[in-house]
Amino acid sequence: MLLLLACLAAVHAVLYSHYRHRLTEYEARSGLRQIATAALGLSDLCIATEARYTRHPAASDPVAPFMDHPGAIEHFPTGSFWAPPIPGGLRGEGE
Amino acid sequence: MNGGLTKHLNIIDYTLSSLWRRRARNVSVLVVFAGVIFLVASFQFVTGALTQFALDSLRTAPEITVQRLSAGRQTEVPLDYGEQVASIHGVREVVPRIWGYYFDEVTGANLTVIGVDLERMPLGEKLNLTLAEGEVPEPGASGRVLVGRSIKRIVESKGSAYLSLFRPDLSQASFAIAGVFDAATDVLTNDLIVMDIGDARDLFHISPAAATDLCVYVANQEEVPNIARKIAAALPDARVLTRAQISQTYQVVFGWRSGFASVCLLTALAAFVIFAWDKASGLSPEERREITILKILGWETSDILAVRFWEGALVAGGAFTAGCTGAYIHVAYFDASLFRPVMVGWSVIHPSLRLVPSLQVSTLLLIFCFTVLPYMAATVIPAWRSAIVPTDSALSGM
Repeated sequence: MLLLLACLAAVHAVLYSHYRHRLTEYEARSGLRQIATAALGLSDLCIATEARYTRHPAASDPVAPFMDHPGAIEHFPTGSFWAPPIPGGLRGEGE
Repeated sequence: MNGGLTKHLNIIDYTLSSLWRRRARNVSVLVVFAGVIFLVASFQFVTGALTQFALDSLRTAPEITVQRLSAGRQTEVPLDYGEQVASIHGVREVVPRIWGYYFDEVTGANLTVIGVDLERMPLGEKLNLTLAEGEVPEPGASGRVLVGRSIKRIVESKGSAYLSLFRPDLSQASFAIAGVFDAATDVLTNDLIVMDIGDARDLFHISPAAATDLCVYVANQEEVPNIARKIAAALPDARVLTRAQISQTYQVVFGWRSGFASVCLLTALAAFVIFAWDKASGLSPEERREITILKILGWETSDILAVRFWEGALVAGGAFTAGCTGAYIHVAYFDASLFRPVMVGWSVIHPSLRLVPSLQVSTLLLIFCFTVLPYMAATVIPAWRSAIVPTDSALSGM
């Protein structure tokens, strides 16, 4: 039992040091990402590029899914995983 | 040593030996349980990391973005709109931008083309720092582009030194690659082609009097909501998007995304609770005999309940530790490869994420509450039933 606990502690010590390393690297590179965002005026992350409303959920058409033609059925896999835009976004904050 | 503590240490000792006696059954429960926790924890780590990524990276997004809608679709913004916005008190700068999508028929990839006047953008002079190779073209330099790493790979795979794109009239426009973005910015720039705004107009055949949207910068951050309201009032067909709304969007999309996944995972968890209940509720003759012997030896119902509690706690604790450890390794070392097909869908281009799993106490507590507590709740009644087995009835069965 003690041996098992010692092994677990060792594994978690290694993982924690990896986490600290990854976090330091992430923070060091954060400045570069912020420069790219500011200089290019970016509004979205490039995670899913298959449809415009999942490539640019913040800046694409507010009713982009289902608008390829009236009554169109959503067919992009990532479309199932993105929320519709915030209703207030259309007419400015606070309205 | 305190008598109560000694008693509990002895009970734990007995519980461990009891677990070991029924190791096949307990290991099977632990493996299934650890698998469920692994899935829940992986989703929480991924969505937490992506949300943090978005909030950090988009902190410097334009304070206000103005688009124009026509028939429910985004359309070009006349540059006159920019002049109207610039006349609003408190607006520091209005920068028109051209951007759009380009579908590459050879690879089936959707590319994002951006044309912007870097001299007018904040931190535009520092964009060189984000490049792994090459440098930012001189302002107004035509025919030279900055590209994300995936675009570079696509161009190389075609064996060409130039990036060739087609205008709407199918005439060809060729661009030399002046620079490639660093891998550190992959999550923002992987599918980008950044060019001079005049080149982008020419590529998309957009009128010189129009732009895709306007980036608006204000002097006082506190005034952003007020100015956004004034823009919306002055331009009735405009869609006004503030930086705060972009952040909110990302909190919502990933929250919903993880919520959608959680529905599937909760179904798996419910199935597991039923499985645990079924395993724990049927007292085997061996268990019945064990309880009887313990009672004859003077154990009380509370002692047997304590044994059952520790059994559940050790199995659940072991599964929680194994599941969360596996989830961390899955997300940090393998970039959440099990979820990648769902996250990126049919995307041809996807970035290397290098996620930092969100190891916050709140995240771990949430996972604990969603997994360990239902298991403990599902086993408490069977444990109580096993503890109140009457000695005489059990003896008659021996």
